[in-house]
Amino acid sequence: MIDPAIEGMELSTIRFPVERGKLAELARALHEEDPAWHDRGAATAAGLAQLPVPPTVTALVDHWRAGGPLADVTAIGIDARRLLHGEVAWEYLAPVRVGDELTAVARVAGVSRREGRRGGTMTFVAIETEFTNQHAEPVVRRRDTLIETGAA
Amino acid sequence: MTLPAAPVALAAGDEMPTEVVGPLTRTDFVRYAGAGGDFNPLHHDDELARAAGRPSVFGMGMLHAGMLGTRLARWVGPDNVRSYTVRFTGQVWPGDVLSLDGRVDAVEPGEGLPVARLSLTVTRQTGEVVLRATASAVVAAT
Repeated sequence: MIDPAIEGMELSTIRFPVERGKLAELARALHEEDPAWHDRGAATAAGLAQLPVPPTVTALVDHWRAGGPLADVTAIGIDARRLLHGEVAWEYLAPVRVGDELTAVARVAGVSRREGRRGGTMTFVAIETEFTNQHAEPVVRRRDTLIETGAA
Repeated sequence: MTLPAAPVALAAGDEMPTEVVGPLTRTDFVRYAGAGGDFNPLHHDDELARAAGRPSVFGMGMLHAGMLGTRLARWVGPDNVRSYTVRFTGQVWPGDVLSLDGRVDAVEPGEGLPVARLSLTVTRQTGEVVLRATASAVVAAT
């Protein structure tokens, strides 16, 4: 059971690089064939001033989380075996560029409970993460809704 | 479809070119784990997934959210996306063929250029919608 007192809890602060190699891997994993996602020449030919980044680029933060991607989830007491990802909302404030160093600051923005349709209590945890670049400019705001399903 | 740099002209009712991805394999899930960093074993360890009551491993939501995100970026231009919200409504399984779709609901005046309100979906071959998304993007004035 998740303690409602975690609301407002500060989670990890993570500094991580936006690297071309990792973006090439991400593009391939997303079945993107267009070389403009990782090749500067192809991006220039498409009229882009710089290499683009996918809207879900903030996923790369998970590689840099001490204790692994699920460390924050475990820290707030969610049982990973009952974890569902409900929703993600990204707000883009300024462009993210290859070569940027981003800092992600996350906190628990809300906790609520609801009775599940198949019995058991579902707990919803909202996590808000603000990403700023190396110039201290906020670039992306992300809100994740995590769901811990009722115990079987 | 190439990646547009400048805002593109869009109007209510316009549709994103549909893309079909798949059939997806366990290798696709593992490749995304390596790229995106999600090593939750429910997405790559069949034995553990079955012990947890699932028929098999299943795809991480960020895999198909990411696929839809890059199609959105190719449609409107990567620097023109202002917001993207995804709601996971189902799971993606090995063998699935996904259809990625989007349309313009409205175009509204913005600060400077107009802003398009978009809705997008990821649908399995069974017709089950596994992801519903909304997005906003700066578009060219018409």
